[in-house]
Amino acid sequence: MALHDTTGLRAEPGSFRDPGNQVFHRGGEVLRGLDERSARDWRALAASDFFRDLLATGQVCGTEELFPTPVDVPWAAVLRHERIPFVSHPYEWSYGMLRDAALLHLEVLRAALAAGFTTKDGSAYNVQWRGARPVFIDVGSFEAARDGEPWAGYRQFCQTLLYPLLVQAHLGLDFQPFLRARVDGIEPDQMRRLFGGARRWRPGVFTHVHLHGAMQDRNAEASTSTVRAQLRAAGYSRELALATVRGLTKLVRRLDHRPGESHWSDYQRTCAYSVPDRQAKEAFVDRAVAVTGPGRVLDLGANDGRYARIAARHADHVVAVEQDPAVVDALYRALRDEGEERILPLVMDLADPSPGGGWRGVERAAFADRARADAVLALAVVHHLAIGRNVPLPAVLDQLAALTVTGGSLVVEFVHPDDPMARRLLANKPDGLFPDYRREVFESLLAARGRVVGRTELPSGTRTLYQVVVGG
Amino acid sequence: MTGEGRELAVTHLAYLDAGSGSLIVQAVVGGVAGVAVAAKLYWRRLVARFRRQPTDQG
Repeated sequence: MALHDTTGLRAEPGSFRDPGNQVFHRGGEVLRGLDERSARDWRALAASDFFRDLLATGQVCGTEELFPTPVDVPWAAVLRHERIPFVSHPYEWSYGMLRDAALLHLEVLRAALAAGFTTKDGSAYNVQWRGARPVFIDVGSFEAARDGEPWAGYRQFCQTLLYPLLVQAHLGLDFQPFLRARVDGIEPDQMRRLFGGARRWRPGVFTHVHLHGAMQDRNAEASTSTVRAQLRAAGYSRELALATVRGLTKLVRRLDHRPGESHWSDYQRTCAYSVPDRQAKEAFVDRAVAVTGPGRVLDLGANDGRYARIAARHADHVVAVEQDPAVVDALYRALRDEGEERILPLVMDLADPSPGGGWRGVERAAFADRARADAVLALAVVHHLAIGRNVPLPAVLDQLAALTVTGGSLVVEFVHPDDPMARRLLANKPDGLFPDYRREVFESLLAARGRVVGRTELPSGTRTLYQVVVGG
Repeated sequence: MTGEGRELAVTHLAYLDAGSGSLIVQAVVGGVAGVAVAAKLYWRRLVARFRRQPTDQG
């Protein structure tokens, strides 16, 4: 966009679907431009009590209007939003996170409807996280409710929030691949195929999936404006809209599924470090993050979050990435119950990180484009990638260095080939497949990517920790 | 004013296609009162079809 050069504004690639308002970045600020109608909606919203309450409780991200309205932008009004520490996508959340995001969206909608407002859409992408607390970010979505009209966002809510929850709660399938593959979520038609036979009688399925899909088929020819008028004439009311939201909330609350125990959910116990090893490791991580100073810490292979919590003593916020959805869900629930707002747990396979998605592949930014951090923790991770996934050791270190800002710290653990865990991984591979998986090679690779400023051998003697100032 | 007038039909279109079926099914989800609204909508459509037929032929 031409705006880019003259004003230092950068359009947010994920904000274009609603022509009435658009998100921009300027310096470190997140701004939202509003056209005339959206500006009127905003001023009505800003004057309402329910919105003030949602802001006060932190359920909606902090927002204020810029006065005077900047003259160098083509908008009737400009809002400034509180910065979300790390933008994540629904396919990086655990089940409990998606469920809480759905409940927040419904609560925001309920409060809005009761006050005569509604939301234009119902997407999972309307929600982001402050640590383990969901935040509704799409302030541009609020508008005055029109009497006699159902919620325009219901279909989107089903496709990006309710259906993924049903898939996991009723079928036991991880929902993340469904959302990662389709930016608009799961279609009712696809859901009907998944929920045939007796499965149609599971909670929420008959109405929200089968009836919904059948109604879509039968009304494919009718325009939404005609149907809106017909519903209004038949007596659809705001009370009914509220009843629908109550019904959805009750359903989502019922879907309190807990992903089962997995290999990794037992990892901390079964693959436990000896107490002296653990203490040495904790002290090393604590010191390394402390000297790096505040900012963002990325904990790769976070498991139960032990080191993410240590990092959070010194960092502004920590992004804790872990491959196993069940482990992330357990971590999320623990953090949520503690009221933690600086540690964000995410589900992701480091050997298959989130690619760019949506329009032109940039509407939803790739993980590598979002995740650069002041400190990166890669504890007990390198051997899983290098041996378990056959990623060449130099490529593993290139990736770790690329995720660290220049001058930032990479804290990395090397598990020696004779360590029991490494031996277990090596036993599944042909002999001699990893001749370079040696400590000397690892250290020379590290030295080529930065300055090694700290090093400690764990008491067991088969693991070494390094702190590297990347590019230093 | 309520009614099935065409003037109401053009008052507003959201940027998002809400889906006609997705709008109607929300009435049903809203409980007994909602089912009554959906039934009324279908009844009116039925009546409208029969009413139109003579003029269509004529």
